[in-house]
Amino acid sequence: MQSVILRARLESAFGERIPSPFTDIDRRVFETVPTGIDSLDILTSGLPRGAISEIFGPSSSGRTSTMVSILAKATACDEVCALIDGHDAFDPKSAAAAGVKLNRLLWVRCHKLDQVLKCTDLLLQGGGFGRVVMDLTDLPLPQVRSIPLASWFRFQRTIEKTPTVLLVISPESIVKSAAALVLRLEMFTAEWSTVLDGLNLDVEIIRSRRARPLNSYVRVHLHSECIR
Amino acid sequence: MFACIYIPNASGDMAAALRDCASTFSPRVENTDAGTVVFDIEGLERLFGGYSEIAEKILDRARRRGIDDANIAVASNPDAAVCAARGFRGVTVIQRGMEAARLRDLPLRALIPSMEFLETLERWGIRTLGAFAKLPAVQISERLGQEGVKLHRLAQGAAARPIVPHVDAVRFVEVMELDYDITTIEPLTFILSRMLEQICSQMRARNLATHEVRLALGSYVRILNLPIPVRNSRLLTKLLILDLEAHPPGAPIKCVEVEAFPAKPRIVQNGLFIPLSPEPEKLELTLARLKAVVGEENVGCAEILDTHRPDALQMKKFGLNGELGRVSAPLPPGTKYPTSLTLRLFRPPLEATVHVRNQTPIWIAFHGTHGSIVTAGGPWHTSGDWWRPTMWDREEWDIETADALYRIYYDVHLDRWYAQGVYD
Repeated sequence: MQSVILRARLESAFGERIPSPFTDIDRRVFETVPTGIDSLDILTSGLPRGAISEIFGPSSSGRTSTMVSILAKATACDEVCALIDGHDAFDPKSAAAAGVKLNRLLWVRCHKLDQVLKCTDLLLQGGGFGRVVMDLTDLPLPQVRSIPLASWFRFQRTIEKTPTVLLVISPESIVKSAAALVLRLEMFTAEWSTVLDGLNLDVEIIRSRRARPLNSYVRVHLHSECIR
Repeated sequence: MFACIYIPNASGDMAAALRDCASTFSPRVENTDAGTVVFDIEGLERLFGGYSEIAEKILDRARRRGIDDANIAVASNPDAAVCAARGFRGVTVIQRGMEAARLRDLPLRALIPSMEFLETLERWGIRTLGAFAKLPAVQISERLGQEGVKLHRLAQGAAARPIVPHVDAVRFVEVMELDYDITTIEPLTFILSRMLEQICSQMRARNLATHEVRLALGSYVRILNLPIPVRNSRLLTKLLILDLEAHPPGAPIKCVEVEAFPAKPRIVQNGLFIPLSPEPEKLELTLARLKAVVGEENVGCAEILDTHRPDALQMKKFGLNGELGRVSAPLPPGTKYPTSLTLRLFRPPLEATVHVRNQTPIWIAFHGTHGSIVTAGGPWHTSGDWWRPTMWDREEWDIETADALYRIYYDVHLDRWYAQGVYD
């Protein structure tokens, strides 16, 4: 009860100088970009610009395919993207088949975690990239877990007022509260006839700075027609 | 008034000597051909006296420079001066309005016409400039075309044209001899920064930029090629220092020479609908810094080679040809790429132990992973380059284990199994 009285007194003291001092009028509006996967776009409303998005999950959970779809969508809109490949695992042939314009994708092939962090810093400071992807998937998990939270907040502050999307691909959630959107991916089933036909995966929203949607799950089907 | 120096049968190296001699009288010197220069002498009479004195002075200076058999002519237009110098020996001064009268006895060859033109006029019985100048201009135009009209005006001594002054190629070079040897890169930063600031200010004064910088540290030479012309000294200094850190000179530095090759500066018109892309200057610096972190061969854009060989690609320099800021043609409406499964590669492929039953893999172990194969699809046989030592011949399988989907292959020649990648 006392807090209500105190609030009323402060509001009257500020008067017309600061109307509604306890109302958060500076709520940020996130501009979003599509991922290229319709069902995922409906679920998440896209990836927020000027913020970190994280996609994590175990092997064969569709993380790389989702990343490639995001890059394909961005390069199709003539945006310039950068991929910091933590363990030199990117397959340009698969990516080109999925629609990525390779001449608009800067590929940085790293082999250590400190190279990944340095390169990310340089690319974010340089600016001008529509998507910057940090692929930490195949790096040793203890090293990935040891990235200090301050680094993520530094990255987040660097891109805050820019149109860049920083996308982190990892085996488990590591960006924590610095991420504006966190998605967990998991393989549901692999579809086989005589050959591998595709992959069904479940996507769950773990964190979203936007208003939380009614449904936080979606099932996505990945085709295998481009793999050979 | 214009003066012409002509040397009959001049060799190619005489042109520079002629230009040097002429440039002591005038900054506007036209190098008409190997043995002929024309230059503007208007206003020199106040310095040297009449045109005859000027011509004598020119001859005197030419002789002092070792040009002995030069013909000097002074006339009111450049072409009349050239004709007179070619036609008369020694010094000739043609007063204004007397060109036609003085040139009339010269043979037609003084105009240097084409052989076909000369033969035509000789068939007509025309052998001197005076005879040719008397012919009516309209009929000349009808019979000999525009070349005939031009030569007709030359023969009359009435051709008026501005001279095309010779301009020496501008070099932007700074050289510094050091008092003591430098063995580390850091002190070089200050030296390079100062030299490049000088060069960039010179280029700015001439509205030029550079796309190639040559750095010579004694006998050690590095060349910095830029995809776009720049004149930002700080950017060039950083790029050169990053390049030197990646490729350090093997010996102490005693002398520093920087040369920038000029180019037209980049003109950019921005638009509201140009897609987001990094600024070219900043991108160049970012790329250089990335190369310093991960190595030159690990930064760029991938180019898939025209072969069926697995993982055949090469790294290309990123952002070449200024293609990043361009808007590509829109895709046809309804064009949609399927959301497709993508492979993550193991580079190099991981050697695997595979158990096979009924010619189908049933169990696998590699790099800490092992287990039964739930489903296997294949084989896809691929081979190539059998005529080269780098031939390949393999049978590929897609397999599903309890936790992931992999692509594995059996190398027919090595008789071994490998894990190529994981579908993710």
